[in-house]
Amino acid sequence: MYRGEPVVLPAGGYDVSEFSPQGTDNIGFQVDEVGSLAVSYMDLLEYQAKELFKQVGIPILPSQTLQTTSELKRLQLPYPLVLKSQVRAGGRGKAGGVKFVENTIDAIAAASAIFHLPIADEYPEVILAESRYDSQAEIFLAIVLDYQRQCPVLMGSSQGGIDVETLLEQMQSVSVRETFSPYLARRLAVKMGLSGPLVEKVSGIVSKMYDLFSRYDLDVIEINPLGVNADGAVMALDGKITVNDKAIARHPELTRWHSEILQINPLRWLAGSLNEGQVGLICNSEGLALSSWDLLGELGVVGAYLLDESRGYDPLGTQLEQAFAFFGQAPNLKAILINLATRLDDASALADLLRTLLPSPAELPSDDRSLRGTGVTLTSRPRSPQRKTQTGEILPVVIRFSQGDLQPMQADYQGGEIYWHRDLQTAIAQVRGLIPSEVDVTEIAS
Amino acid sequence: MKWQKDSTVLLQGVHHPLSLIYVEQMQLCGTKLVAGVSAGHGGESLAGVPVFDLVEQAITQVGSVDIGLILNPPFRVLDAALEAIAAGIRQLVIVSAGVPPLDMIQLLRKAQETHTLILGSGSQGLIVPQDFSVGTFDPYCYTPGPIGIISHCDRLTDDIAQTLTQAGLGQSLVVALGTDGLNGSNFEQWLQVLEEDENTQAILLLGQPNSNGEMRAADYVASAIEKPVVTYLAGRLAKINQHFGDSLTIVANQLSHKRPVLTSVEQTVQAFEKANIPVAHCPWELPDLLRDIMDRANVS
Repeated sequence: MYRGEPVVLPAGGYDVSEFSPQGTDNIGFQVDEVGSLAVSYMDLLEYQAKELFKQVGIPILPSQTLQTTSELKRLQLPYPLVLKSQVRAGGRGKAGGVKFVENTIDAIAAASAIFHLPIADEYPEVILAESRYDSQAEIFLAIVLDYQRQCPVLMGSSQGGIDVETLLEQMQSVSVRETFSPYLARRLAVKMGLSGPLVEKVSGIVSKMYDLFSRYDLDVIEINPLGVNADGAVMALDGKITVNDKAIARHPELTRWHSEILQINPLRWLAGSLNEGQVGLICNSEGLALSSWDLLGELGVVGAYLLDESRGYDPLGTQLEQAFAFFGQAPNLKAILINLATRLDDASALADLLRTLLPSPAELPSDDRSLRGTGVTLTSRPRSPQRKTQTGEILPVVIRFSQGDLQPMQADYQGGEIYWHRDLQTAIAQVRGLIPSEVDVTEIAS
Repeated sequence: MKWQKDSTVLLQGVHHPLSLIYVEQMQLCGTKLVAGVSAGHGGESLAGVPVFDLVEQAITQVGSVDIGLILNPPFRVLDAALEAIAAGIRQLVIVSAGVPPLDMIQLLRKAQETHTLILGSGSQGLIVPQDFSVGTFDPYCYTPGPIGIISHCDRLTDDIAQTLTQAGLGQSLVVALGTDGLNGSNFEQWLQVLEEDENTQAILLLGQPNSNGEMRAADYVASAIEKPVVTYLAGRLAKINQHFGDSLTIVANQLSHKRPVLTSVEQTVQAFEKANIPVAHCPWELPDLLRDIMDRANVS
């Protein structure tokens, strides 16, 4: 990410949209019900993964998606069927999210149960109805981006399915150190102990998976299980795909599933605990945000908004407003910490900007109503209302700049609920002092 | 990386919104910024630095270039880096963060073939205070002194260096590996550089708790580094969504959805403890920790 104050560009101009490669800036950030990022939104749902499988010719069963139980009446598939909850969490089968049905009556009852069954706090919006497949054997296949080996790794286990322990015991892998070629997939198949026609069939599937992996910048593509029937035919029965969050913007094909994939732009927002958190954090560097987060420790952080000073088309003021708006949703919010790495040259501009968003006591009209309808504008600078918590108390804001002269600010805000600091340690102590402690905080640093 | 006062630097992506700030910061340190490259803007200049359409044109005009500095948007980094390598530049600093990993894998292969040294992606670069700087470090935060810093963090590095500077502990050499999951160089390489650097008396590692590089660094320190080492890890309590792990761990986590016995953060802290490397709990502890450990090293 780029940080710092926007500068006047050299002649010729610059297409700033290039600096928004994520392309997600117009998407508001939201967090799920529990206010955490436990589930990655870059994970495609099974039916979405299977659409991609189909594109490259990986065999999948005839299937249809349902958004309501009433759609079962218009089902184009013959019974018996499997109904599968489309959630991202694993362990779906054990949780009751997969049901076998013989007829429409069965199916309506099963679908209704699945729609009302949360799995790891996630309710399905879609159910996948799929034909059944008679597997004689089940195989696990995956391609994973390995950050340690710094290359993609082909993985396979001849014991696929839901018995994870056995599956992992039998796991084989082949690193893709150079350009991928199908012999690597055949090497994997042989290492997995496959023989006869299955070597070609399974390695053929792996090659197609690699095609998707590189075409769409995936972190993970997994088929589990790949069913093998009595005739030796193979079928991808379940699939999982994780798209790399940094690359997704260059795959508009995947943004069809827009709302499902891009709920959060992780490059601007680190999610904490929306419901329990007491402090909202705004920083202009991820490292600084993580460090501040640690220092606030047990106070609980709602989340950290990452300001990006290089987004000329999205001024810092707008970004700050967005952050404040988000923090306003946190029921337990007690204070905001704005911890910025500043440069000597830009500190005063940043301070002025914050001042427009956080008026000092002297700048606040003593009685708002007296101004109403008079048409008199007391100042050209836009005034924001004082920040308040959900219970209506004035929200204290602690601002820390790493560099710059803050004395004028400190003087200006004397007696208000806005505190300016240069020193990180005293800024953190200030936040702590503002929040009544329920637990012993003497051990914060350890 | 060969860095010295007379190393020549070429800047790619000169139209980055903050490039002027970065150029001025580097010029303040005396870095020889000889050319900029931005297609369609050949013939212009930026803070006195001539701009060319192509890297090869720049080199024809200004002579050989020692270090390429890349500020291009993340999806164009691979292309920019390949252009620099094709033009014969063998040291690259990639400032841009958020480069897609498959692009980085392709680039790192090319770098290996051509013996190109890469810092980044997501690197702040390298600074020898008041002597040389390539990247985005804020020179006002640094002063010459005995502490070598290897950072896996972003602008937090400036803030922490400033804390040291204010406490009277200057820096010998500061290098940022990059914040993305795949980096062109690692802790071990730079630990070796600082071990051999006569201006460095103690080493500070600024790490992320969710990456394997830190654990390898701890092992390396235990086995190969004589100089005292201190570390600070940012993000021990924050829920970090990304874990840059190995493939088997990724798959196992995905399949079982069981909480591992030790989180990666705990594992990293343990690795440092095992290697007898103090882990600071907060940035303001660092000056005392560094002084203590240097005193002890001098006594023994």
